[in-house]
Amino acid sequence: MSEAAVSGPKAPVPEKGKPVGDAAPADGENKGLSNKELKELKKKEKAAKRAAEKEAKGITPEQQQKIAEQKIEKKQATTSTKLKKQLNQTLIKVEDKNRIPSLFSHLETREQRNASSPSISHIVHPAILALTLKYSSYKIVGSTSRLKNMLEAFKVVIADYQTPANTTLTRHLTGHLSIQIEYLKTARPLSVSMGNAIRWLKQEISHISIDITENQAKEFLVSKIDDFIKEKIDFSDQVIIENASQHITNNCTILTYGHSQVLEELFKYCVLEQNKTFNLIIVDSRPLFEGKKLLTNLANTNFTQDQDELESDLESISSRGIRSCRPITQSNLKIHYVLINSISTTILEDVDYVFLGAHAMLSNGRLYARVGTALIAMMCHTRNIPVLTCCESVKFSDKVQLDSVTTNELADVDDLLQNINSKKPPQKKSFALEQFIKQCEEQKKSESEANNKNKQQQQQQQKKAEAAAQEAIADGESPIKNWRDIPNLNILNIMYDLTPPEYIKKVITELGSLPPSSVPVILREYKNT
Amino acid sequence: MSSTTISPEILSLIDPVVSGLKRHQIVGDKVIALAICHLLMKVISAARWTNPYDLINIIRKVGTILHTAYPRKIITGNIVRRVLAIIRDEIETENSNNDNTPMMSSMFSLLSTNSNTSHKVQHNQSKKQSSDFRSVVIEGIRDLIDEIANVNEGIETMSVDLIHDNEILLTPTPTSETVLQFLIKARAKRKFTVLVTESFPNDINTAHNFVKKLADHKIETILIPDTTVFAVMSRVGKVIIGSSAVFANGGCISNSGVAHVVECAKEHKTPVFALAGLFKLSPLYPFNGDDLIEVGNSGKVLNYDDFKFVENVELVTNPLDNYIPPEHIDIYITNVGGFAPSFIYRIVLDNYKTEDNKLE
Repeated sequence: MSEAAVSGPKAPVPEKGKPVGDAAPADGENKGLSNKELKELKKKEKAAKRAAEKEAKGITPEQQQKIAEQKIEKKQATTSTKLKKQLNQTLIKVEDKNRIPSLFSHLETREQRNASSPSISHIVHPAILALTLKYSSYKIVGSTSRLKNMLEAFKVVIADYQTPANTTLTRHLTGHLSIQIEYLKTARPLSVSMGNAIRWLKQEISHISIDITENQAKEFLVSKIDDFIKEKIDFSDQVIIENASQHITNNCTILTYGHSQVLEELFKYCVLEQNKTFNLIIVDSRPLFEGKKLLTNLANTNFTQDQDELESDLESISSRGIRSCRPITQSNLKIHYVLINSISTTILEDVDYVFLGAHAMLSNGRLYARVGTALIAMMCHTRNIPVLTCCESVKFSDKVQLDSVTTNELADVDDLLQNINSKKPPQKKSFALEQFIKQCEEQKKSESEANNKNKQQQQQQQKKAEAAAQEAIADGESPIKNWRDIPNLNILNIMYDLTPPEYIKKVITELGSLPPSSVPVILREYKNT
Repeated sequence: MSSTTISPEILSLIDPVVSGLKRHQIVGDKVIALAICHLLMKVISAARWTNPYDLINIIRKVGTILHTAYPRKIITGNIVRRVLAIIRDEIETENSNNDNTPMMSSMFSLLSTNSNTSHKVQHNQSKKQSSDFRSVVIEGIRDLIDEIANVNEGIETMSVDLIHDNEILLTPTPTSETVLQFLIKARAKRKFTVLVTESFPNDINTAHNFVKKLADHKIETILIPDTTVFAVMSRVGKVIIGSSAVFANGGCISNSGVAHVVECAKEHKTPVFALAGLFKLSPLYPFNGDDLIEVGNSGKVLNYDDFKFVENVELVTNPLDNYIPPEHIDIYITNVGGFAPSFIYRIVLDNYKTEDNKLE
């Protein structure tokens, strides 16, 4: 069982992903019926049964035949290999212990995402496997960097792609990419920007003429992706930064929440290129501590870049020479770091502007961003502090949504319970590995329970367990670590919330600054080009 | 009047409580309140006076010392003022019994100064009188202790009237024992869901214990991070907060993070209830909200061992409390009933004497 869990397709470890390709033909027959197909079969069977019940009296022989066929098929499937069974065991029983608060029970949990994923890792490209792992462990987080990394991975996938016989690239590559995307979704749902980029890429593929050779087509696509990254992300950010930097003046106070790629660049630009001095309040929150990431990146930015220029400036050598080797946060940028619970009147008293990052701008003018954004936008709005959002047009979505509850991303609950006092983003293992460890632990427990029939021993064990629990609390482990065993307790960990348009004064995009109500206008323009 | 000094034996009584407050060893509003009550009872039995006003001066001095020991804690002052009010009430009844001269109506005393009136009625008590007086005052403090000890009972009884079946409640104050008891009591009659915020970084362990206790009492409990408040507020029926002090204007002091929760509730037109025992009501006015807030260890926000951050960050703040303006609260639930924030000043007048607003 252990072998299956580690080397099986559920383990998206890049190193292990590579040899899968060689092993694939050997298991070719076994893979014939994947978990997904099995599930589908079961579904069909159920549906057929229901139909049979409805027509309780008169069942047509055709239907009966079908049912019989399906049953035979199913039998074949179940008896096909032992490996299949083992794989099934490594899957998680979703209904068992994973409860979501009733308010959010319509959202997909991490377990469901992974359970529904087809076991297709033998056809998933190693670059995608690696990326999936980075997504799921929050190594790559934030809409822009997720998009960029995905496109880079797609470039590798396309470069390594070979059209099978009897098909054309135009027709087959789209399907091949879909499989990769399907796998990528098991880490986290696609972001709006990723969805837009994928739609664009598929369109580009379909437009490739059949006449050009495969290599030419691949090169064409790779260069197209490069252009997309440059145009939609890099240059867009540059335009946005230039536009937004007008708002940052000397000695003003800026408030920002979490981490946004474009805002980070903006603050660096203002200090390094425009040599402005200002105060920056970074508001941070559990469990991802993205503000800390912004803080680290800013603290790692030094003045060294313009040292050459400074040397020519004779007058300021003495004063700036020292500064040139120091991080910007020690001279020009005064950082005030707080958690979201601390923002009250005192901190907001002398804030001039609030800059917020975005995950997506929805067509009804609402801002879909990291959970907590709406709270800050609201607090600033009521205190008459202008709230600005920097958002590339690739993040614009034609969806409409009215509240944060209906559509959202459900994150892993255990992120909230691990090392509650560590003040660091959750250190996560891959999903399959976590599952495997859990299973092993359960097995061990059941074995030890079976062995220890002595009452005294049990009592001793209980005492030990209690002592361990107390130690654990001292170590920063939560008293509700085993919350799944407490029947009435639920924990909610969602990723995004929705900021109403009335809180947002201005949306800065590469196409200009506009009020949130103009988002649909941009969407139209953008679709036409 | 100001000549009265505190005798060494009284100082020795105060000292342990003062150092307990300074070191934050006495924690919990109720515990502090009871400790002060017991202390004042001891002081009154140990003190020697010839004139009841001397006793008032002693208590005021003690009050000042206690206040400086923990200036951000409003409750110490509240209890001292409550005891002073008990003493003044007693003087008044004694005067009206002994003196046949009619009490001056408030219209006239309006124009006379405070010291004048006190001089007029000042007279030395006989030994028997003073011992009677002492026992009456101590009896009054005993009643006060009873009131504080049973504060939750009075508040709990209102729970059924305020929560309907299948309601979704939100509480951002998992540190409040009163809120816990209130919800547990309500569960006996109603079925409802409670959302509890994590209150990171200061009270996250308390929050986890709080949700565990609620869940153990068969209350549907959902723990949410502090950021999620806005996202779920549209589904919340009522917000219940605990408070550590209530001011005469109807504003209150509560945990950090509560201010933005109630603001969010106001934005969504969700009613906000504040639970407060009568002893938390203070006759003071919060002229400057910043002065009332205690600031905690910033190491809880950003680790000190991370020298990269320590060098590069100008400021890290970790406030422990929030001041909540009266317009963000709909109703105060006290052990003597529910009141609108605008009415709190009347309740304050019932329990305190205006002469004691300033202890020094």
